[in-house]
Amino acid sequence: MAPPQQSAVRNRLLRRLSGDDFALLQPHLRLMPTEMRQTLITPHEPVTQVFFPEVGYISVLADVAGNRIEVGLIGREGLVGASPVLLDSGLTPYHEFVQSPGEVLAIESEAFCAAVDESSTLRKLMLRYLQTKLIQARQTAYTNAAYTMDVRLARWILMCHDRVEGDEITITHEFIALMLGVNRSGATLAVQTLEGNRLIKAQRGRITMLNREGLIGVANGSYGVTEAEYARLIEGT
Amino acid sequence: MPRYFFNIRYRPGPDGVAIDPEGNELPDLDAARDHALTSARDLMATKPTFLVRDWTACSFEIEDADAQRVLTVPFGDTVPDPDADEV
Repeated sequence: MAPPQQSAVRNRLLRRLSGDDFALLQPHLRLMPTEMRQTLITPHEPVTQVFFPEVGYISVLADVAGNRIEVGLIGREGLVGASPVLLDSGLTPYHEFVQSPGEVLAIESEAFCAAVDESSTLRKLMLRYLQTKLIQARQTAYTNAAYTMDVRLARWILMCHDRVEGDEITITHEFIALMLGVNRSGATLAVQTLEGNRLIKAQRGRITMLNREGLIGVANGSYGVTEAEYARLIEGT
Repeated sequence: MPRYFFNIRYRPGPDGVAIDPEGNELPDLDAARDHALTSARDLMATKPTFLVRDWTACSFEIEDADAQRVLTVPFGDTVPDPDADEV
């Protein structure tokens, strides 16, 4: 398969690269379809490839003492495997798996690191991206401590909405429960809160966004900090 | 195994129920009741939500696959009987 052209990629990091920096990565990028629940990063195993999502998104999951809770979300704004590879740790304690299937551009970690070593502008952009990931993790910690599950669901739907085409998110209550670290009845109540206020429409297995501004209001500051920092650091706006 | 749906009644009236569209497969009604009590206990350990200010006002209205109510479990049933022996 021919390597992807920068004008055709959807990943927001790849789109921000200079032509020269993109050319460093281009010969190594390989388009790979992803499947629901496919593992991209296995905990405590060497990260030999990193992945730029093009379509769909990936969950970062803490799987500790029988509790599985989502601690991060990566879509077309990001790079799966960025921190262990760029920060030279080689592996990570977290499981990263496909939550919304689509496509990623995969690249061997070795080739990616060689390109980062060669170009200071590429390295700078990637470090800025890591800062946005750190902010996302801190916002998640803050949100989980400060807010009830309906606020957390509002934030999470907004984050998913940013990473899909259109207004529909494919998701079960079972999965929402996992994402929010509550039981399924908690997910059912949180969905009811947002649906009762006509912010979303929930059908079996999917949620449709009806009122984005309303959801941002419910999210009450838990959403938006990370996104504003991404815009500032990566997209210069 | 039969599938039970754990709808949550959070206030009176036709709009006061959060519908569980997915349900759980459980061996029998006793298991459904245990599941409801465990879920209620977990929820009552979390902060109230916009919808629910007082967990003890809630109950599970459990339905079978034919949407027939088979059991109601008030969240208050999780509170141990004061006369029961401490475990």
